[in-house]
Amino acid sequence: MNKFKKITLDGLIFQNPTFMLVLGTCPTLGLISSAFSSMGMGLTVLVILTLSNVIISLLRKVIPDAVRIPCYIVIIATLVTFARMFLDKFVPELYESLGGFLALIVVNCIILGRAEAFANKHTVVESAVDGIANGLGFTLALTVMGIICEFLGKGSLFGYQIMNFSIDMLAKPAGAFLVYGICIAVFVYVIDCFERARRVKANKLARENLLKEAV
Amino acid sequence: MGTFIAIVLSAVLTNNFITAKTYGICPFLGVSKKTSSAAGMGIAVTVVMVLATLVTYPIYQYVMVPLKIEFLEIIFFIFIIASLVQMLEKIIQKVSPSLYGAMGIYLPLITTNCAVLGVTEMVIGDMSAILGGASMNIGWAVLYALFAGLGFTLVMIIMSGMREKLNYYKTPKALAGFPIAMVTACFICMAFTVFSYISL
Amino acid sequence: MTAKQFFKSNVFKCIIALLCVLLVSGVFLTLMNALMHVSDEERLDRAINKIYGKSVNKTAVAVADYNSNAIIEDAYHITDDGNYLIKSTGKGGFDNGTITCWVVVEVKGGAITGIGKVVVDSNKGQTQMAELKDSFFNKFSTGYYEGIYYTTNDGFVVSNSTKSSAAVCNAVNGALDFVLAQPGISGGAVDIYTEFDYIDNIETKLSSHVIDEQTGSVIFTVVSKGYGNPSNFTSEITVSTAGIITNFEIKVNGSTNDGYGATVESNVQKFVGKDLAGIKALLNVGEEYPVYPNENFGDMVSGATESTYTAYTAALFAVANYNKVLTAETPGEGEENE
Repeated sequence: MNKFKKITLDGLIFQNPTFMLVLGTCPTLGLISSAFSSMGMGLTVLVILTLSNVIISLLRKVIPDAVRIPCYIVIIATLVTFARMFLDKFVPELYESLGGFLALIVVNCIILGRAEAFANKHTVVESAVDGIANGLGFTLALTVMGIICEFLGKGSLFGYQIMNFSIDMLAKPAGAFLVYGICIAVFVYVIDCFERARRVKANKLARENLLKEAV
Repeated sequence: MGTFIAIVLSAVLTNNFITAKTYGICPFLGVSKKTSSAAGMGIAVTVVMVLATLVTYPIYQYVMVPLKIEFLEIIFFIFIIASLVQMLEKIIQKVSPSLYGAMGIYLPLITTNCAVLGVTEMVIGDMSAILGGASMNIGWAVLYALFAGLGFTLVMIIMSGMREKLNYYKTPKALAGFPIAMVTACFICMAFTVFSYISL
Repeated sequence: MTAKQFFKSNVFKCIIALLCVLLVSGVFLTLMNALMHVSDEERLDRAINKIYGKSVNKTAVAVADYNSNAIIEDAYHITDDGNYLIKSTGKGGFDNGTITCWVVVEVKGGAITGIGKVVVDSNKGQTQMAELKDSFFNKFSTGYYEGIYYTTNDGFVVSNSTKSSAAVCNAVNGALDFVLAQPGISGGAVDIYTEFDYIDNIETKLSSHVIDEQTGSVIFTVVSKGYGNPSNFTSEITVSTAGIITNFEIKVNGSTNDGYGATVESNVQKFVGKDLAGIKALLNVGEEYPVYPNENFGDMVSGATESTYTAYTAALFAVANYNKVLTAETPGEGEENE
């Protein structure tokens, strides 16, 4: 059970693809001007990532090592094409708001990265959990930044106008860069603080134990 | 001539891949610490973008559309780009080892670069806003890819120059690395916003 | 390497694995494409529902053009509320381009009651579309009254984008004309010029006149149909009580480029000071309608014959009909489209 907890925490926080590893930046920066599209992108990636992790993990003993990357790319491209058809048919609003970035999921480093770093070495269940955890980490990060950017940049939330005041620049790529950069800084700083506190606590415990032994 | 100017201005300034479309951010943030490497990466991306468009556009228009398999475009395009990059790498290695030394390390990174797939997807889509009355053909497509690549290179070089200067200053610990790079990018984007007032 | 070795080698395995993956993906996607293909009809439904904000029932109406300035592409009768949804392409945009709009024409009890919505679908060659904001399109709804034809002179215009504005006006007018031609619909502009002379090249419904109270001269605002390449011209022509053109001013120049436009601007000044006979003499017009000259007009600057001819027909219309306006006893005629 501990194993799954570690996978989940890694995907969500300690190895968060958006804030800690800074992967998949193009769709992030391109879409966080709107909370709806950034959350939609997050969820799409979540589904594709989980499916690709499961499929690649299933096929990890079948696919020869030499052609594994082309195979992964084909699998991911298939899933992305499928997602594109699905969204076009059933969620046309999201399909339109994602625009070109929907096709570009195929070159999103997170998906290929997880396939290469995790799914081809682990069991199906572990890979699925890893996919969901990373996808959630990505979705949460995008949604939070999407809310910040949309609220300050357009004065609305998920399309509903809330206030008349807005800073236009934050709804443009320039603002996306700024918000993303600041969010990374804050996230890393908070994690650092926790880590430091834990280390201090551990050190203290170790010193006390040493003292006890000495006595 | 009007279309030519519109494409150049749009690809390089108003709709710059990095500052307006946010395509190709991974190399933009990853390989922009030194001007020499930024220029190398930019030129490598430009070359691959032009070659990829040169191959994918005719295949899409003259093979996939008649066969009604447009829906397989993503698989086709990514495969073409990946093989193109591989071939280019081998050719450069054979023909000019010195060029390979300068550019070779960037080539494998380009396969997963959104800018390349992005431009091939864009030129088969609706480009009427840029082309005006002219209709899309392979010439305009390749031209657009070329200038989009040059625009990408331009912003890469500007960014690397700023980051080289940034090394002389002390940044707060929390901002070190990616955050300060993104804030820098934010200023470049703001500067490029000026060009959005060019109406084509 | 023998064939046997090859079939056992790693290379063969790699190729087979890759081909299998490709094949499975291809088959899967082909199946999915067949299953989830979005047909053109569905896309149209979506576009219509987006305009209406809800899904509506509709029946297609056979299309035909009733106006030289617009091409009706598609027309639907919305059976839920009786409105018409028209896809209309307005001519006369910038650089001879066009703008295609979806126009909702509201109908109640057999009469047009207003324009519900104007949504741009696409355009050809227009560069200033960004200037046309919601406020411009909303004007069409709020500014509707029975018999209106939208023209850029009446404020349906965005500065820096006059030609595109004109094309949108043309598209909306075309939609109105189309709906008016439908059985059982009333509420169109009154055509007061049907009995006038030389109206073949004049958009009579779009033209108007007023009588200057001080001098008694007639000020026509004539819209003449673009002949050949140019699009419509709107000209303000003052005809004195003596039947002489005292002022000719082009309000909307339909020439294809500024060079032709300037040529016409100077050419029309030659119309000033001429009476009906003088105008007719320019093209040797007798009783018949003036035909487009294959060679240039007498003393006009050459190079813009089609545009000049377009302006000429307006001048001829004004100078030939001022008398009818002045002698018309019916009060109120002069106030039409004031």
